[in-house]
Amino acid sequence: MPHERPPKVIVTKIGFDGHDRGSRVIAACLRDAGMEVIYTPPWQEIPTVVKLAMEEDADVIGISSLATDHLIVPKLMEALRAAGLADIQVIVGGIVPAKDEKTLLAAGVARVFHPGAALDDIVTAVRALAQARHAQQGAAA
Amino acid sequence: MNKPVSHIAAADLAQSQARWEQEFAAGAGNPEPLHNRSGVPIKPLYTPGDWSGAAYADSLGFPGEFPYTRGIYATMYRGRSWSQRQLIGLGVPEDYNTRVKEMLALGASALSLIPCNSVFRGYDADEVPAELLGTCGTVINHVGDMERALDGVPIGDLSTAMNDPSPFTLLAFELAVAKRRGVPWPRITGTSNQSDCISHFVANHMFFRIALQGARRIVVDHIAFLNEHVPAWNPLSIVGQHMQQAGATPAEAMAFTLCSAIQYAEDCIAAGMDPDRFLPRFTFFFDISVSFFEEVAKFRAGRRVWAKLCRERFGAKDPRSWRFKFHGQTSGVDLTRQQPLNNIARVTTQAMAGIFGGLQSLHTDSYDEVFSTPTTEAARIAVATQNILREESHLTDVIDPLGGSYYVESLTDQMQQKIEAIIDMIDAAGGMYKAVEQGLVQKMIGDSALAFQKRVDAGQETVVGVNKYAVEEDPADYPSLEYPDRARMDAQIDKLKAFKASRSAADVDKALTALAASAQSRNENVFAQVVASAEAGATHGEICGTLRRELGFGQPLTIV
Amino acid sequence: MNAAATPLEAILAGDRRAVARAITALENDSPAASGVRATVGAHVGRAHVIGVTGPPGGGKSTLVSALIRQLRARGHTVAVVAVDPSSPFTGGAVLGDRIRMGEHQADEGVFIRSLASRGHLGGLARAAGDVVDVFDAAGFDTIIVETVGAGQSEVEVTRIADTRLVVCPPGLGDDIQAIKAGVLEIADAFVVSKADLPDAQRTENELLSMLTLRRGQAVTPPVLRTVATTGEGLVELVDWLGRRTPRGTRRGATEDQAARDLVARAIGADGYAKHLGLELVAAQRGSTTVRMRVGAQHVNFNNRCHGGAIFSLADMALGLAGNSHGNIAALIDGNISISKAVELGEWLVAHATEVSRSRKVAVYRVDVSRASDRAHVACLSGTVYLLDKPVTFKT
Repeated sequence: MPHERPPKVIVTKIGFDGHDRGSRVIAACLRDAGMEVIYTPPWQEIPTVVKLAMEEDADVIGISSLATDHLIVPKLMEALRAAGLADIQVIVGGIVPAKDEKTLLAAGVARVFHPGAALDDIVTAVRALAQARHAQQGAAA
Repeated sequence: MNKPVSHIAAADLAQSQARWEQEFAAGAGNPEPLHNRSGVPIKPLYTPGDWSGAAYADSLGFPGEFPYTRGIYATMYRGRSWSQRQLIGLGVPEDYNTRVKEMLALGASALSLIPCNSVFRGYDADEVPAELLGTCGTVINHVGDMERALDGVPIGDLSTAMNDPSPFTLLAFELAVAKRRGVPWPRITGTSNQSDCISHFVANHMFFRIALQGARRIVVDHIAFLNEHVPAWNPLSIVGQHMQQAGATPAEAMAFTLCSAIQYAEDCIAAGMDPDRFLPRFTFFFDISVSFFEEVAKFRAGRRVWAKLCRERFGAKDPRSWRFKFHGQTSGVDLTRQQPLNNIARVTTQAMAGIFGGLQSLHTDSYDEVFSTPTTEAARIAVATQNILREESHLTDVIDPLGGSYYVESLTDQMQQKIEAIIDMIDAAGGMYKAVEQGLVQKMIGDSALAFQKRVDAGQETVVGVNKYAVEEDPADYPSLEYPDRARMDAQIDKLKAFKASRSAADVDKALTALAASAQSRNENVFAQVVASAEAGATHGEICGTLRRELGFGQPLTIV
Repeated sequence: MNAAATPLEAILAGDRRAVARAITALENDSPAASGVRATVGAHVGRAHVIGVTGPPGGGKSTLVSALIRQLRARGHTVAVVAVDPSSPFTGGAVLGDRIRMGEHQADEGVFIRSLASRGHLGGLARAAGDVVDVFDAAGFDTIIVETVGAGQSEVEVTRIADTRLVVCPPGLGDDIQAIKAGVLEIADAFVVSKADLPDAQRTENELLSMLTLRRGQAVTPPVLRTVATTGEGLVELVDWLGRRTPRGTRRGATEDQAARDLVARAIGADGYAKHLGLELVAAQRGSTTVRMRVGAQHVNFNNRCHGGAIFSLADMALGLAGNSHGNIAALIDGNISISKAVELGEWLVAHATEVSRSRKVAVYRVDVSRASDRAHVACLSGTVYLLDKPVTFKT
């Protein structure tokens, strides 16, 4: 039986916020769901996140955002595209006002999760995104 | 001494209890045992069997006397209400100034300043992405900005809490402003809020700029400087809020905070300071969750444990050194985005718990803080909440009104046991610095956070409007503060440039060189040089940058 | 980057994205894997592969980070394989090792790839070897493989390295004895990390004295000291690494390497060794060192180590030495003389050397000494009969 490839997920924060309760809980849940998780400290610079995603060949990048850090996520999307990594899926979790959510989705973010989202829903969504990427890579090989 | 319950009455009591237990079981069946957030088991009923007044003299005492369980002052709120200290921080210094004047007119008796996240991280406005400026706090980068923020505010007469982590540049700017205005430093009162570098290393890392051991040293330098030159200022605010918001249970948050306090106290003693000089100026800052009775018990237990630590472990002799002074903030983590007006009820409950817990100063969150920095209207309701509790519900008429409750006293004792067990564990690990460098504390907090979230997801913890009583809502209906006008931010950056152009580059250079040298030396006071740099016109980013280079960039240790 | 280059050419040109995807293909044995292996296999052997292992909390990641700094200062490009443990229950992992090398995250000349220890087809060592090969073919000068060293698989992983460093923090004390024997015997050098701490000298002494018990080694591994936070000792360490000649030793096992592997496997499959708590310290063709701590199960009614236990220890060393050439060797005659009584808690070390060997018979001498004072305890001489059958293991 072929060995199943676990999803590889980066959980990170860009911008200035330092609250990481939510991201830490998500990282633990993803690990407990059998995924390989890279959990970074806060205040990652965008080029660093892009390099990390490239080296690890990550499937999904999860951005945790309180305050207004989500406002620079479109810059991350742009940087990923420029590096040829547009197939890596990005999700954002945290405090995101409705009008900003539209902007993020238009910029290519796959999903936005708000406070109160169930952990199971997030885990399921991440797994689906990763599996879709694996299938796509398999088809292209 | 109180008369013990008589022999005959005791037999009656036991019989009545048995009778009640039978009736209870018949009515309620055998429900699942309940626990509070800290894991203390909660019974349906408490009686003198759980706690009787016989223990009054030893474990309670009177307010204002050791072990202070009932309150740190003899008069408590009958003498003086808790300070209504609402956090304020937004946009540019002029915006801050306007809001401060509004708050003062509404009766706020003390000020607080929250700087912008860029400031928390140690940068000037021209060093960071423009989108992130001024949305969560005020941009203050130099003494000129502080002048404008405090324009027309009588700093010699009001107490100011600066949310200002190591190396305490905002305080340095305020002292520089005071000097320019001719207000003598001994008249400056306030607190270096959230000055506790350990809590930033562990949780809410936003405040963490300089590597832990460097930050540790600056904290002690800053205490020593203030003891001598600004004696009415509280240099240390040891923070339980971050850890509780990160998921620590109330008992854990109290215990870890006290462990941090132990390290700071021992560092000061090692630096030759007299406990009776610095302990009276140690203050604490806690989160207040909606777990009402647990919070009340947490604070009462904390007061008792701290008093014992000060007297027995640090050897302080002055009763003023044994007092557990704390500021409470209602917990933002309990607030929900769904049905946001419900948050007003939550904040009221949290505030009451803090008041019954005997806090010295209180911040009530605005209901819309889940969306962004509060609107004026929401901030007004938050202040009114405190006024209603005090002046309509008369919560201040009686000191420690829940004292003597069989439940509250029993719970206070049990919370104390949990707290002391954790303190013992941290001591065994070599103290709080070692424990956090190993990740022990972070792991416990992470585990508690995960456990709580799982209970919420499983419906074992109810969150009204989220996992129960939810309704369809259109998120677009929620009010929210517009992001700061980019033009105003650009103007602020222009002012920064103008400031830099107008100051003496030579003076700044000299000051920063002296600052770097003090950091490299073993026994110079680094904070004294921070103040001198602020006076010479150095900016916040320049001061923090210098210290980061000398002492290391602060990278917290995070454990999943 | 030339857009027309094929993915395989891109790997050889060092294109980062191609390298990462090639690693993924090998890690997951995807359809592309065999093509990658074929391309890469022809271009390996240039890089110096350094394995770093040691007990958790020993400061390995900090040392590796400092090592990278030194290497970068000398113009090397560096790739790192950071091995993290997977949960045996969920299969998930937090890949936290690379995070501890934070200062290099943005350096284009450093490529860090995490490898979880999950059930890889062919084993973790093979998976790590695959990653190393891709980096080698892509042109990285130095490749560092870092493992926790807590489990046997991590020991296996470092076997793929040309140079193996074992990092020990000071204050291990008695725990030095507890460092897995398999880890100790593979080390090419020991590094006492955090050498500014007070126990550092004692740790260095303990390592040195333990190493002198490993007689029969051609080269005694050096014990180096570093203070990663100040950079002390790093220049010396990198100089020493530079003097190593790794080319080819990784790909073709030397005779001693094969013997070492065989002996390690043999003692691992020996039920009696487990029963008595016998541990391999060192091995090469024809000589081995085995140790045992005298426990309650080894003492006689006089509360001293039972002669039978001493015999068993010595015989283990003898038997392993006899079999180390690859064919089965069985003891047919053995004689022990014991000169000292040994107390509970003492460590005994048995060193076997080959006295003579012919086609059918070999004679060994085993010296057993007491670790605490190197006092001679016993001497076993024995003859083994050599069979024409190779040593094989039930998998």
